Amino acid sequence: MTETNFFSSGWAAVVRDALDAGPSDQVRAGKLQEYWDLFETIKSVYPASWALGCRELPAELGGGPAYLFVQWAGGTVADCRIIGPDEPLAATYVLAMDYADWKALHDGYDAQRTVMYRKILLEEGNLLEFFKTIYFFAECLAVIGAVEARYPALVPA
Amino acid sequence: MTDRPSPTAVLHEGPRALSDAQVREIEESNLADVLKVDIDDVIEYVHKDLKALPDFTTLYRKYLKQRWDVYDLDFSQDVIDWQEKMTEDERQSFMAIASGFHHGERQVEIELPVFMIGASEEEKLHIAAQIEDEARHTVFFDRFYREVVGLKGDDIMDILDASFPWVSETFVGPFGLLAYQADELRRHPYDERARVRYGTTYFLWIEGVLALSVMKVTLSYARWRGFLPAYYTGFTATCRDESRHVQGGMKYLQDAVRKDPSMINEIHDTLRTILYTSGVNSRQIYYEPLGWTQDEVRILFFQQLRRKLNDVGISLSPDLEELLTKVQPVLAGG
Repeated sequence: MTETNFFSSGWAAVVRDALDAGPSDQVRAGKLQEYWDLFETIKSVYPASWALGCRELPAELGGGPAYLFVQWAGGTVADCRIIGPDEPLAATYVLAMDYADWKALHDGYDAQRTVMYRKILLEEGNLLEFFKTIYFFAECLAVIGAVEARYPALVPA
Repeated sequence: MTDRPSPTAVLHEGPRALSDAQVREIEESNLADVLKVDIDDVIEYVHKDLKALPDFTTLYRKYLKQRWDVYDLDFSQDVIDWQEKMTEDERQSFMAIASGFHHGERQVEIELPVFMIGASEEEKLHIAAQIEDEARHTVFFDRFYREVVGLKGDDIMDILDASFPWVSETFVGPFGLLAYQADELRRHPYDERARVRYGTTYFLWIEGVLALSVMKVTLSYARWRGFLPAYYTGFTATCRDESRHVQGGMKYLQDAVRKDPSMINEIHDTLRTILYTSGVNSRQIYYEPLGWTQDEVRILFFQQLRRKLNDVGISLSPDLEELLTKVQPVLAGG
């Protein structure tokens, strides 16, 4: 089976299913039930959308900046697709990080530190509102990073 | 076991009255003598000047007298205590709490420089000193984890990577917020409202409440058992440094609200976000091996928060009071 490319429409479809399913049993087993209860409560009512950007995709993935748009509604992902550089960018929260950091997340770098070390940054949206549900976001970011996809090797600068 | 009071005895004492001699001992002790200072006196000392806050030049002059050399600490007895005297349960509890500081000190070091841009000239002196303090605290934990706990690594980040598995997932609540607020200041360094929101997270919550509550747990354990003398010395000296940071931070927030009373809304909005994220634990932490219970840590935490708010004259709205009853403090500080 051929792997889908990172930031392709096929990848976005798999991300949608993965976000709907949520973290794996293995991930869930490592944290307290009260933490996951909060996660599920937030997921069930989360009304916002994210535009998660990759600032400079490798040329073989199309190059330029691109965004993964994720709209939450009714406890599921209502919309999940790639927004190209020429399309309007309208989301509750717009965040972005470099390709190298997306690849590191996929290779196992911690999602919590991806936020804390400012590898992914909030470019638009209310910061204090965004952080009220930060555990939900961080767990979802880890889910997105874990989705199997082809990430081209980094070209040394 | 020593005949010293139990780690939690101070919870039942109420606020201590420090004598002039005790204040002098705290303020003027050199690094070697810090070992003799009672950590509960140092935490009380943090509050001593909160009602009449010192100016930034005074805080800078205190820094010049109180700075210490982190490379003067000798961890050889700590290694013996860690390996031969402490139980595995004690070591695991200690790691679960200390690792939040290992990472927290690094975070408050690197997120502070942007706050200096919009500060007054006198405050810049104080912030520059604070950045140096936080760098020294980062090295202190690096040395402790490397030399006592025995973590391996070529550089500071290697050791941070090695201790990260002990850090709770909820750490990203206050410290991720601080990172993003620092980025907001990077883009808008003179935005006073953004500065007050940042100051609420950094100075009031992380340093004033979390750090001073949680640092007491490992320090009172070390004093009670007579273990880890270099850890006790370095971290108590760190607590003395924090007193200047908290006093400077509270002065900043107090001045901002006096200048523009609507700034209280920025403090409340920030606390609202922090309290929303503070109502849950992701891991079970066992404090009992260190002489504490979870309820006692919560009592300590509420005492720290109430005293800061009362001393600097910040009242809470009813919804914040309600949120406060659900808080589970993150075991971290900076």
